Amino acid sequence: MPVLTFAVSGPGNCVEVGGVPYVYARTAQGGSVIRASCPHRGGPLHLATPDPTGRQLVCPWHERGTSLGRLRKEIPAVRRGSVVTAVIPGDPGSTVVHRHLPLSPGLSVGCREQF
Amino acid sequence: MSHTPIAHVPFALHGEELRQAVIAYAANPIYRDNEEWENADNPYHRQLRPQVLPHLDFDRVPARDRALEYSSLAAQRILTSIYEADLVFFPKAGLGELNDDFRAYYSPGNRARGELIRPALERFAFGFLDEEVEVSGTWDQAGLETYLESLDVDATGHASLAEQAILNSSDPQRAARMWLIQFAPDFLSEASPMARNVLGYYGNTQSEWFKIVIDEYGYGVHDTKHSQLFERTLESVGLSSELHRYWQYYLVSSLAMNNYFHYLGKNHEHFFRYLGALYYTESTLVDFCRRATSLLDKVFEGQADTRYFTEHVHIDQHHGRMALEKLIKPLIAEHGDQIIPELVRGIEEFRALSTLADEDFATQIAWMDDGPRYKELHGPVHRAILDGKVTAPVAHIVEPFGELSNTHSHEGDELCHIVSGTMRFVSGFNSHQILEAGEGTVIQRNRLHGAIIESHECIYQIHSVGDYQACLS
Repeated sequence: MPVLTFAVSGPGNCVEVGGVPYVYARTAQGGSVIRASCPHRGGPLHLATPDPTGRQLVCPWHERGTSLGRLRKEIPAVRRGSVVTAVIPGDPGSTVVHRHLPLSPGLSVGCREQF
Repeated sequence: MSHTPIAHVPFALHGEELRQAVIAYAANPIYRDNEEWENADNPYHRQLRPQVLPHLDFDRVPARDRALEYSSLAAQRILTSIYEADLVFFPKAGLGELNDDFRAYYSPGNRARGELIRPALERFAFGFLDEEVEVSGTWDQAGLETYLESLDVDATGHASLAEQAILNSSDPQRAARMWLIQFAPDFLSEASPMARNVLGYYGNTQSEWFKIVIDEYGYGVHDTKHSQLFERTLESVGLSSELHRYWQYYLVSSLAMNNYFHYLGKNHEHFFRYLGALYYTESTLVDFCRRATSLLDKVFEGQADTRYFTEHVHIDQHHGRMALEKLIKPLIAEHGDQIIPELVRGIEEFRALSTLADEDFATQIAWMDDGPRYKELHGPVHRAILDGKVTAPVAHIVEPFGELSNTHSHEGDELCHIVSGTMRFVSGFNSHQILEAGEGTVIQRNRLHGAIIESHECIYQIHSVGDYQACLS
């Protein structure tokens, strides 16, 4: 399992491990590291919006809901200030790429910078 | 027989009730201002500047960027006094004439008043960590072990900001003494916070915890007790080893680092957080102490007694391993993965505080080194005020010979202007500027300082300019 430290916002706010992107997102339930691709067809979950109940994250591609609670539990992580360290599932030898992904307003609640 | 349960209301002090309780605690005569810069072999005297406390608001949680402000220094000073009333201190020379102070410090009234305000002050002092550190996701032991490996605690690190500040200082020996002074609140009563978790009844890990404490206490051989080793370090570079002799020179972040462990140890609901912080500090101390030995050898040209640090290079290799293998893993086996987020939180909170302390100390050394420059800046800043370019609130102060302003700081930049008389302006241990009539100094935001009047009388002004650089444009 790779342990990766990256920015919670701005440049480098996304780590891609073995082709799967992860971002730090903050909803009304708090912050967490989530997989940023929809389990349906790989849509951009970083641009998804929580539904009115706050339980589902609605993918902008096909409006398919993914349990936010499950996403929030998936990746053990700890944020200290403006960086987050996450234990990402997968082979430690996986290719890792740091890049930037914009977040929907619903995934950057309370953040100073919104994208 | 039926009865209606009495509604439970959690204890909390707020607003004016809190303010008055803080004032009542600090009204104890042992907390009044000192007439000297140092406390002479009196572990009960702790300057809390009670006259300022009515103006401070502890009923809030300052964010990290305000954690070094004077209110935080005041809170950390008070918390140190409250926590340490659980510890036993005697003057080196015996009680002598200090019996009244001894009783005043340990009296039930002082302790009770301290306990009354402690939760609110802890919220004020450490509440920013709730925002600074956030643990999420589902953690298991495999994830924890992978995370711990990633910390690379055994790695040889680079000089910290504080260490660089000492090496690059215009007066490295003064800076190194200031550095050692910052450790005194922790090292002279070392492992006392840890001992808070020795008591009780919790199985095999209790005995393992006790083993670490035994090491710290030198197995009952006094000369090998870690605090004794640190006393030799202090004395070898010309510092006193009396407890809290240098109280006025402690930075807010230095007190916070020490108080953090008391905070976690005093509140046993944070037991696992303490364990995480303990693991990290014991593991990383090995490299830190190696660097500290090298730094002290260099700065004091081999004259510093560094056995305190070389002892830790050895023993903390064991303590880091013991904390992981004998405490963390067995406790997870016993209580489950639910304790892991708290372990992780303790590690990261300690890292957050360490970073804060590192920055704070390095900035203070720069402030001390730059004393002559801040004195020179008085001219243009005062001119900007006289020319009406800047309008700032001003306080007119008259003080007699020997009046000592116990150390403090301000939330914004200030300009001190001497109208008449002479002031010794102190910006840290053995660091001062003499200010005569017509002179003065810029006082940098959040920087520890104090002053003593050296003429029959001194008339001076304090202009609260906020940002002195704005006066220069």
